Amino acid sequence: MIFSSIVFLFYFLPLAAAAYFLAPRTLKNAVLLVGSLVFYAWGEPKYVGLMLLTVVFGYGFGRLIEKNRDNKRGRSYCIASVMVSLSFLLFFKYTDFLIENINVLCQRKLPLLELALPIGISFYTFQIISYTMDVYRGEAAQKRLLDLAAYIVMFPQLIAGPIVRYAQIQAELSKRTHSFTLAASGIRRFVFGLSKKLLLADPLGELCRLFLESGEKSVLFCWLYAIAVSLQLYFDFSGYSDMAIGLGRVFGFHFAENFRYPMMADSITDFWRRWHISLGQWFRDYVYIPLGGSRRGKARQIFNLLLVWSLTGLWHGAAWNFVVWGLFFALLLTAEKLWLKEWLKRHRILSHLYVLFFILVSFVIFNGTSLSQAFAQLGGLFGVGGLPLVSREAVYYLRSFGVILLLAAFGATPAPGALIAVLTRGSKSQKLVHLAEPLVLLALLLLGTAVLADGSFQPFLYFRF
Amino acid sequence: MRTERKDQVVCIGAAAILAVFFLLSVFGPKAEYSYSERRMLAKLPIFSSSAVLSGRWMRAFEDYTVDQFPFREPLRRVKAWTAIHLFGRREYNGLYVWDGSCAAVEYPLAEEKLDWAVERFQLIRERYLNDQNRVFLSVVPDKNCFLAAESGHLALDYPALEQMMAKKAAFAQYISISDLLAKEDYYKTDPHWRQECITDVAERLASRMGASFEDEYQVHVLTENFYGAYYGQAALPMEPDSLRYVTGPAIEECRVYDWQEQKEGEVYDRKLGTGRDPYEFFLSGSRPLLTITKGQAGQTETAVTGEAAMPGAAERSAGQKGAAQGKRLVLFRDSFGSSIAPLLLGGYDQITLVDIRYIHPEVLGRFVDFTDCDVLFLYSTLVLNHSETLK
Repeated sequence: MIFSSIVFLFYFLPLAAAAYFLAPRTLKNAVLLVGSLVFYAWGEPKYVGLMLLTVVFGYGFGRLIEKNRDNKRGRSYCIASVMVSLSFLLFFKYTDFLIENINVLCQRKLPLLELALPIGISFYTFQIISYTMDVYRGEAAQKRLLDLAAYIVMFPQLIAGPIVRYAQIQAELSKRTHSFTLAASGIRRFVFGLSKKLLLADPLGELCRLFLESGEKSVLFCWLYAIAVSLQLYFDFSGYSDMAIGLGRVFGFHFAENFRYPMMADSITDFWRRWHISLGQWFRDYVYIPLGGSRRGKARQIFNLLLVWSLTGLWHGAAWNFVVWGLFFALLLTAEKLWLKEWLKRHRILSHLYVLFFILVSFVIFNGTSLSQAFAQLGGLFGVGGLPLVSREAVYYLRSFGVILLLAAFGATPAPGALIAVLTRGSKSQKLVHLAEPLVLLALLLLGTAVLADGSFQPFLYFRF
Repeated sequence: MRTERKDQVVCIGAAAILAVFFLLSVFGPKAEYSYSERRMLAKLPIFSSSAVLSGRWMRAFEDYTVDQFPFREPLRRVKAWTAIHLFGRREYNGLYVWDGSCAAVEYPLAEEKLDWAVERFQLIRERYLNDQNRVFLSVVPDKNCFLAAESGHLALDYPALEQMMAKKAAFAQYISISDLLAKEDYYKTDPHWRQECITDVAERLASRMGASFEDEYQVHVLTENFYGAYYGQAALPMEPDSLRYVTGPAIEECRVYDWQEQKEGEVYDRKLGTGRDPYEFFLSGSRPLLTITKGQAGQTETAVTGEAAMPGAAERSAGQKGAAQGKRLVLFRDSFGSSIAPLLLGGYDQITLVDIRYIHPEVLGRFVDFTDCDVLFLYSTLVLNHSETLK
């Protein structure tokens, strides 16, 4: 089930919310767990057992690690827990990728397993690993299986993140408060996220599709595509994160922010502090720093960066374009650490242009169905292959999607938030904003519902990860 | 409004909206058919453990919740209006309205689809035709070809398409009709051409095929409130069309035999004219095989006795059917052919209409006698550019 669907908004959510708020405090986690299992089973009935199994493993290893933290077995249990969790992920996500590469390298014809990827496996696996590793590092293990399961399978963040750390919501799992203020901020965030997805990301996705299907490419069209795909990915994923964070608040949880205007970054290092923050922090805390981070000299740091970013790429998908995408960032980050850091600080405007250019390039690689396609599209940005500068189609689609592109570009900056902050400064204007807010939310919800009622279903991009 | 009050309003308002839509979705009235989209709406799927475990039930239920969502039609209009007027989209669902008329952005030209269409025509020619048959081809431009020239929307290069088709199907004599057509010759809310506006097209086709043309027609109004197929798909505000039809002596004395339904009828189907798609008034809409025979009015029994229904019908040639054995035309056509075929009756004693979207060319020989008849392939760009629908 996805958030941007009629069945979620007008069937599941009212029932789940009613059951949750009517349940006594002691049963709220149980209600949340049952609701989350229904939510997951709706789209993936056959993999519910797998998810529960990984939760049970996580719980068991957590308890064992806590008991044996001070002896050697604690470390062994920690390694075992990581291996078990990763084995499920590796098996379901990367086996066919491995077989394909063996077939190419060894000229074999080994059959592919063609397994469906369990939805959200990349996210809940990382949550379980972070949990058991945190227990090994000294955090208390969860004594109640039900509460740990409620944390891992909690539907707001189950299938597309953000990667919520156990430590972040540990206290709220056992005791949390609900208030109109928190719930209203959650509703507001959810509606904005839904609007980002349905009103911006999906139309931008349509522009991308039109480009990919077009037989009349041009340099202008390639740039339009690069901009559209970058903004689509941003609004799709940040929209989902907004909805997750919003739903979390409605149910009394505070999830950490996952995006902070990444398009405003002034370096690639800064970009990754703003884009998919929970993933970047996860790799930093559980891979980069344990490998030594930047503490063991430049050469080791560069190696660590290459490894971490190869893994980050692979996490996004079992294909070489994702690996190249990750390594592309590794190279940029290395260049920044070695040479560009000071230069970027001195050139504020150029640094932003530098970031935007490489972000566009990176997302063209990211969105390619193959490396050759991605490189052909990158070549198209510079007219490689004799592409004309402008084509009739490009001009037409620029006009057709111009407003959406402008709105998306504006929405990707802090300007809308700043504008509201300015409007709420005066007492009169604050009253007006307060009056307008419920109406704006209602209008956005109505528009989103209208989009859904017309049946234009587009799955979230991050579902494939 | 204080912040706390505002938050309460937001929470209670959201809860109320969710609750109301939930209750309306579950207990509200359900529709079987969408008149605007001209399709059956999804029904509540039958619950079974196998359907649930495979995920089929959930997918079907999601379709059901979308199709049966309360206020769906107004919401579709809100979406369309927003896309065009708020977000400045040049089209919605591939459709746009220009000067009160709606057209589909038929673009780009898919040459491989033209190849497939020609391959099917070639199959018919090789299988059933010989040098005694005179074979013609004509392509009906879609409305977008005319509208886009004014509105700036993307459109097929129609002259190039004509050239390609004439070249690819060199076995047929190409008859160009585009110079006789303009945007006003099409319904504003529907993709089709208006019968009362295409008598010159029929005359051109008849004269190029060496057939006479009867130019004494009377124009009648079937309805002044015709909302065509584009009206529902676009969900944009549009004025209705008037649906008119022409009659003349040749049309009035004809009977139509429907090989699939195994029954005789009239050229104009009054019952369907008041139905879900009034354009079906012309020759009863989508039919795989029809034979119009002149001078057959009142001879129903003679014409249909002993026929079995298609497929697997008793093999009897349409060319041998009935009394008419004069000048004959086999018209391979899409829905545009339904309204122009009656206008060609002045020059032919019998016209057989074949729609190879619904009948495979391989089996035609069981029903149609091609001996010495004229053959016209008359297809719109809308079908040629999506010729995967041709069998």
